[in-house]
Amino acid sequence: MAITILKPLPPANTQNAATAYNSDSDSDGGVDLEGDVSMMATALSSKPSRHVGGKGYDQAIVTPGEIITEDSQWMRGHGTYTTPDPYAIVASVAGTLVKTNKLLSVRPLRARYTPEIGDLVIGRITEVQARRWRVDVGASLLAQLPLSAVNLPGGIQRRRTETDELQIRTFFSEGDLLVAEVQQLHNDGGAVLHTRSLKYGKLRNGLFLAVSGTGGGGGVVRARRQAFTLDAGRAANDKIDVVLGVNGYIWISKHVEGEGAAAESAGPGITRVEESVGLNVYSSQNDAIAPETMREIARVRGVVEALVQHGTRVDEDTVTRGYNEAVEMARGDGDGPDTLYLGGERGKRLVDALKGR
Amino acid sequence: MATATTQHLLLSPAELAYLHSTLSLTPPIRPDGRLATQFRPLTAETGILPGTYGSARVCFADGTEAIVGVKADVEKTRRTRISPEGQNGRRQRRKRQIGDDVGGGEEEEEEEEEEESAIVGENDWVEMTVEILGHRDDDNSTVFLAAMLSEALLSDGELTKKLWINRRFHWKLYIDIILISPPLSYPLPLLSLTTHLALLSTRLPRLKSEADEDPMFDDDWAASQPIYPSSRASSSSRPPITLLVMAIGENIIFDPSKEELAVADSVLAVSVVEAAVAATTTTTTDDGDVDVDMEDDRKTRRRNLRLLSVRTVDPPSRLTAPGVPNAVNAAAWGQAPPGASAKDPGVETEDVEGVWRPPRGGAKMAVLSAMVQKVLEKGGIADEVLDGLDGVELE
Repeated sequence: MAITILKPLPPANTQNAATAYNSDSDSDGGVDLEGDVSMMATALSSKPSRHVGGKGYDQAIVTPGEIITEDSQWMRGHGTYTTPDPYAIVASVAGTLVKTNKLLSVRPLRARYTPEIGDLVIGRITEVQARRWRVDVGASLLAQLPLSAVNLPGGIQRRRTETDELQIRTFFSEGDLLVAEVQQLHNDGGAVLHTRSLKYGKLRNGLFLAVSGTGGGGGVVRARRQAFTLDAGRAANDKIDVVLGVNGYIWISKHVEGEGAAAESAGPGITRVEESVGLNVYSSQNDAIAPETMREIARVRGVVEALVQHGTRVDEDTVTRGYNEAVEMARGDGDGPDTLYLGGERGKRLVDALKGR
Repeated sequence: MATATTQHLLLSPAELAYLHSTLSLTPPIRPDGRLATQFRPLTAETGILPGTYGSARVCFADGTEAIVGVKADVEKTRRTRISPEGQNGRRQRRKRQIGDDVGGGEEEEEEEEEEESAIVGENDWVEMTVEILGHRDDDNSTVFLAAMLSEALLSDGELTKKLWINRRFHWKLYIDIILISPPLSYPLPLLSLTTHLALLSTRLPRLKSEADEDPMFDDDWAASQPIYPSSRASSSSRPPITLLVMAIGENIIFDPSKEELAVADSVLAVSVVEAAVAATTTTTTDDGDVDVDMEDDRKTRRRNLRLLSVRTVDPPSRLTAPGVPNAVNAAAWGQAPPGASAKDPGVETEDVEGVWRPPRGGAKMAVLSAMVQKVLEKGGIADEVLDGLDGVELE
């Protein structure tokens, strides 16, 4: 069948994502943040009782400008502001209400990325200027990548000359994807990036995927490792690099030995750039990739999309387990192990299996 | 060649090269793992807007969502207008009318007979507006989308025929199409399917008056009549659907996503309508057999598909910059031969494996006809899509 047309789900089911979310704030504070379906249903049915009352389980969505409470015993947290007279706490973003002890905050449904120093991000060049690039990293402002913050060809640490400035497009030009690190933050929240390590640089040999925002429980979370290598079952040398940018941009590519962000730090560090060989940092030519590898890359992408769509966080653990689960599913489904599609019903089954439901 | 500036999607040459090579394999590996002919799963419902005569909502799993509402007004038919079709006949008739202006009575009767034998609607009885979030409504691509959608609706004249009330009045249909999420892919098929469903669910009040009186309608909404009667046996057509088909090399891919469109060799928008079925041919005398036959008939019945229009859509791939092979890339050091100097990256090079090169030249005729063929053939994509749409409950 070429097309599946489903009936819309009743609204209660769409809230599942909220319950599946594992709050990172500690829930010892008397309020159970996990929520539970039956309680949530009651909260939804009695919608006007959105004001903070005795009941702590309000999973309903608040919208910007909505008064959350007029009771002055509460403190305002993220996503809210107060009005002095009459005193009220008002939501400033659309999202779910979170209570931690006496602190009220609103967890946004969707949010842009807020850069922090040291984040591994994936960005796309949108603009080329005289001495720097402007990079889209999914934040509210474009990030900057100065020419002085990239490794220049020639292998030696040297001054940036005018020739380099004139040739700026041979390093990165509009549309190019790169992996970089946030080096510095401006007061307005704009980030300055650098690629001064062989782990960073232009991306090739793979697929890009953007998962939006941080809200709703899905999306990339900061983890110990943002870049890792997956063993793609069949052929022994079939390895796939996955780079989970903290900004929600994801790169899935063929593993090339000694290259890319997932490479072990055993490689040359910042100080020893000049000694390394086989530098492909600015190449935009793909290597030869076997169809099997391409298939597994598409499968990993399907796994990530399914995770996001069903409100699960995306990190090394979930992607690895999800990928293995997907391989098993394809094998067991009878459609043959080459089935890659993980949308719709299959995606739901995959995520349910991951959660052990 | 129509230009549809699909939203500009910035992709790096390496991404384009990768996508192009995966999609050129046999079978193609699509980035989301779908089969070449597989559509993204949809959620569809009809009758969602109480203030309209018919409405529908269709969502993709990625959050793209379209709403279509249909409203109708009674409007006086302008008598002296010349329709693009049947221009000659009308003009002659008008001449005659002017000629014997004095003895008008007979003339009118004559004309009535003529009109009833062939009811012809006017194209401006249907007004369609398309609104896409984040695009101006006079934006090139929006206008082009609206033109493609209304072209498909109006070209077979079936819809406007249904809007005819009597010689003096007709229904004017307003179809409002709104894409309420930013377009994540070229929204043509989504809008077309939503419009299809909205029109299927559209009901007009039952006419109580007769002949050429001022029209009076039944107040009872329960007695209203659908524009497109659901019974398959009746000789009514269904609204058209427009499908987006793209080709990469020899591969033909349906319902392309944004990334896939970005590397397409050629893109077609194919409008198809299920034309009226001629009187059913099953003339079984045995009572016991009839039911079975009908069932059978429905399953194996060949849909009477008619091709309404084929439009080429300019794929954005032609506007992309070519990739730079390592051999001439001054920045990929360690790769370039020692003598190679920095070359202007805009200069085209010959095909190098793994380097993106935008498609040049026109589409091959054989590929184009294969694309249309794949839509139209028995049990083909249009068949399956129509089957799927038939499964949607109306209100």
